[in-house]
Amino acid sequence: MSHFARALRHRSAQIVPPLVWGALFLFAWERFIIWRKIKPFLLPAPSAIWQQLKLNRSGIWQTAINTGTNAVIGLIAGIFVGLLVAFVAQRFEIIRALIAPLGAALNTMPIVALGPVFYNLFGSTSDTARRVVIGLVAFFPVFVNTLRGLTQVDPVHTELMRSYAASESAFLRLVRLPNALGFTITGIRIAASLSVIAAVVVEYFGGLQNGLGSRAASAMKLSATAKGWAYVAAACALGLCFYIFAVILERLAMPWQARRRAADRA
Amino acid sequence: MNASPSAAAVDVSGVSKIFNPGRANQVDALLDVNLTVTPGSFVSLIGPSGCGKSTLLRLIGDLTSSSSGTITVNGKDAAHARKDQDYGMAFQQAGLFEWRKVHRNIELPLELRGWDKAKRRARSEELLRLVQLPTFGDHYPWELSGGMQQRIAIARALAIDPPLLLMDEPFGALDEMTREHMQAELLRICAQTRKTVIFVTHSIPEAVFLSNQVVVMSARPGRITHVIDVDLGERTNPDEVRESAEFFKKITEVREALRGAEGGHHFGVDDR
Repeated sequence: MSHFARALRHRSAQIVPPLVWGALFLFAWERFIIWRKIKPFLLPAPSAIWQQLKLNRSGIWQTAINTGTNAVIGLIAGIFVGLLVAFVAQRFEIIRALIAPLGAALNTMPIVALGPVFYNLFGSTSDTARRVVIGLVAFFPVFVNTLRGLTQVDPVHTELMRSYAASESAFLRLVRLPNALGFTITGIRIAASLSVIAAVVVEYFGGLQNGLGSRAASAMKLSATAKGWAYVAAACALGLCFYIFAVILERLAMPWQARRRAADRA
Repeated sequence: MNASPSAAAVDVSGVSKIFNPGRANQVDALLDVNLTVTPGSFVSLIGPSGCGKSTLLRLIGDLTSSSSGTITVNGKDAAHARKDQDYGMAFQQAGLFEWRKVHRNIELPLELRGWDKAKRRARSEELLRLVQLPTFGDHYPWELSGGMQQRIAIARALAIDPPLLLMDEPFGALDEMTREHMQAELLRICAQTRKTVIFVTHSIPEAVFLSNQVVVMSARPGRITHVIDVDLGERTNPDEVRESAEFFKKITEVREALRGAEGGHHFGVDDR
């Protein structure tokens, strides 16, 4: 079998089963609503949600752009600061000792719940508060994973580089950085998913009414349940986009891993 | 072999290494160790776990520092020799960089010395031929078996053509068949490149088969108890050597030396 045909068969084996299960689930959901005569404001049928998606597509598109922009800006800021702090913490042990426990403590806190605090701080008529919350949420996985990758170097590699009389900067460039890359990418993948969740959820706590979360919440309050679900579905799609972006990034950044996966498949 | 101290490849004199000195968990890893290695010889360090053989190797490589005594490598102190890269090192784990292809792994020490790309690649090709993996340069390390990875690690250790090889149980993680094959390969490579080798091992037959000298050590404190000379000739036919009377005689001699060192017991050493 050619390489391409094998890859295609593998892909379809990966994609077809979840699609079939998804379709079956939607079908069962639809039949259940009709059979039990469930009231639309309690749980709308998938067909009704689809109707709402079509009806409000321009509004959904615009709000998805708004929420997505917040998520992108927060994510990029979180990644940037996460990398920066990780490098500083790797370099200076005292900072590492100070930040590590603080990071662990903050990491267990639901940061989105700080939404109202930041609305007070930065005003609820701009997107700043939301972007700060998203940035904080994205910061932690990137920081924690990158620091781990920078510090957890194989002892054999350490001794080897010492035997080469390699300078500290050569060690950073040739060992620490490539070693950290896999960890950082994992952190970014987690951060990408979390940033969309944070972007949507933080809108539930108030602020501008221009995002997927705000619209979903207000539609639900007005018992326009199907419309609310349409916005939720759009939020799921947005999250998926971010996830796919992270996976592509991983493939591009670590070709040796991509080749390994291809071999595992064959 | 004519050994005069000035011409020694490695000279260890009165070296001690004490971990956590003055504390409750103080360990005398090495106590007053003296060892002279002549150029071109193959010396094995053997002894039970905790006898300090790996520590001694690391001291020679200046990967750790001694508590007292002097170490001379290639006529310089150990730190100086390390900076001049007078030795290459191989460990039990091949320790290849997974993000670098085989070529780029072998080229790493050359890269650090500022060799240009074409020259590096030519040297890598040459070394891959030496370790008999000429077509594997563009593979990633995980695509190679354990024995192949270890050969790449040896090629990397030889990259800058150092006079001395320090090897810390390089075949310890390989299966028996691969291990015997690798031993013969190492001898061939050493004969071809005329290296001095210091080789840490747990295996008595491995030490006897490879070495001109087997250095037997004891634990707590780590000391050299016996130095046994071995002469098995050219060893071009490894199977014949491994079945020879002289081979078994030397194995018995080393084993008895180890028993003596342990006061009637020996553990942590393979009879394989």
